[in-house]
Amino acid sequence: MSTTISQALQPAFATGEFITQVFLVSAALFMLLAIAMFYRAVKGPTTQDRVLAVNVLGTNTVVVLALLGAGLGEPSLLDIALVYALLNFLMAVAISKFTVERGGVL
Amino acid sequence: MIETIRTVAIVGFILVGLFFTLVSATGVIRLPDVYSRAHTASQADTLGAGFALAGVALALGFSTTSFKTVLLLFFIFITNPTAAHAIARAADEEGIKPWTTDDDRTDADLYEEAMADE
Amino acid sequence: MSDNRTLVPLSASSTNRNTIEYAVRTALADGPATLRLVYVHPPEVHADDSREQAATDLLKRASVWANEDGEQFDAELTIETAQLGTDEYLFSPSDIADTIARDAIQTGANRVLFDPSYDPGIGAPLLRPLEYELARFDAFTVEEAPAGRSARRTPFLARTSLPQIGAIFVISFVFYQILAADPTYWFEIVTGVVSAAIVAIGLSQVTFTRNPTWQTPARLVRHTIYIPYLLKEIIKSNILIAAVILHPKLPIDPRMTRIRPAVWGSLPMTALSNSITLTPGTLAVRIDGRTLTVHTLVPAAREGLFAGDLERAIRFVFYGREAAEITSPEQRGEAELIDSTDEPSSWEQDDGAPTDAAEEERTDTEPPTMNETDEGDDT
Repeated sequence: MSTTISQALQPAFATGEFITQVFLVSAALFMLLAIAMFYRAVKGPTTQDRVLAVNVLGTNTVVVLALLGAGLGEPSLLDIALVYALLNFLMAVAISKFTVERGGVL
Repeated sequence: MIETIRTVAIVGFILVGLFFTLVSATGVIRLPDVYSRAHTASQADTLGAGFALAGVALALGFSTTSFKTVLLLFFIFITNPTAAHAIARAADEEGIKPWTTDDDRTDADLYEEAMADE
Repeated sequence: MSDNRTLVPLSASSTNRNTIEYAVRTALADGPATLRLVYVHPPEVHADDSREQAATDLLKRASVWANEDGEQFDAELTIETAQLGTDEYLFSPSDIADTIARDAIQTGANRVLFDPSYDPGIGAPLLRPLEYELARFDAFTVEEAPAGRSARRTPFLARTSLPQIGAIFVISFVFYQILAADPTYWFEIVTGVVSAAIVAIGLSQVTFTRNPTWQTPARLVRHTIYIPYLLKEIIKSNILIAAVILHPKLPIDPRMTRIRPAVWGSLPMTALSNSITLTPGTLAVRIDGRTLTVHTLVPAAREGLFAGDLERAIRFVFYGREAAEITSPEQRGEAELIDSTDEPSSWEQDDGAPTDAAEEERTDTEPPTMNETDEGDDT
């Protein structure tokens, strides 16, 4: 493996070393907030609470992906973020629809 | 000079984004019932993500990648409230009653009641 | 001047929406038409201005409806409004019939169309005698709109047309090129054209329900005015909610509410409920026709919702400036607090039998049922 961490941290965009650090640190903080969502996802009590927690977690993941894309200089991460955002939405709607017996949500 | 302003703006956007996401996380953990939680999940979180993505778009400058970021921001603003609405509506369809201030039942009680009615 | 003129006398009635829809549909069936909406004032109007204001509002709302319905037809629709009987005392059905007939003859109307629950406000059930009196005149036909209660529904699968396919093709092609790595590379352009063509042909039936017109860009421009306004509202109320949530005591007062916004059509309704959900403190839970069930977190958010600022902005975006001025849902009596989402709304109960009492309640400017009732709670 030739890519070391210091190489990965090289600023790929003309925004300087400092901004790169900001992106990576804030990505870590967003990740922490996402992990906090597991509390609600596990505790519930309703199915909707869990879906909600996973949905918030997903939104945070999208932001983390975007921040990493900018911080690590990997523009392709933004494509992943786009797909993730749409899938996250579909997940929330689909689970909402199929957990209800009467159906007809949306 | 202009670079300094941009850096400050990026850091500012990301900090505001972090703050609102923190509010959203606090809300989802603290608030008493699924409807109230859906509020912060859809709104504070959308704004938090919006600010953070705006920071990213600003850092990337004028490029296809930053265009994608703006698109992502737009998607989140459309889909997040819709998802929250779908979740709240599913809760309503299940017969879960909203919690009110003078109510001494917990969210788990309200859930069990709704399940008992089925 | 077109030869197809319809005169529609209006009063405060729950079936107005259907009547307008029927009037527009039948009038435009064969060529361009003129719709003349008139409000006949009851005798006591001379005493105060509020009735006159109510009449102006009613006519304005009806014109917005008619314009909206007229957009779906190729033929051109002209709308006139008028208030009759402001300078005379109209007591009996024959007085009112004379006034309507005179107006119809003066303006050259060849059809008079009544709302099934039309009542000019002199207390008696008047429609039958009115129609009977009007049948004396030969210059026009008298007709009553069918009393269908169900709202107009646009079919999910609409007929497709070339402008629709073209619009979707352009939108999806641009979207494809945004996602593409290099929009100038020939490979991206060819694959873009192919995928956009597949999307346009496959999805043109479900995307638009009518042809894009020149009004669509005007709406887009108004949308761009709306977005900064919405952003401002979102940030303002987000700060308020953030303070509530981070407050150690968590001072929330969640309540279910129900409003009936003065917004028609599925797209404006979607935009409104999405905006309501985006604005912190309010969350759209359920939409049934025009009735919106909204969960509110704090009293401040509730007041904002009942004051109807977002609703007004949405009307501005979709119908233009003049439609923005309708009164707030609270003043219309179309906002209430509810204990359970199963209980029927107060205005739906009214709609069943439009009695005098119900009419009175609807025109009341007092705030709706804000008192807390615990009886509805079936624990």
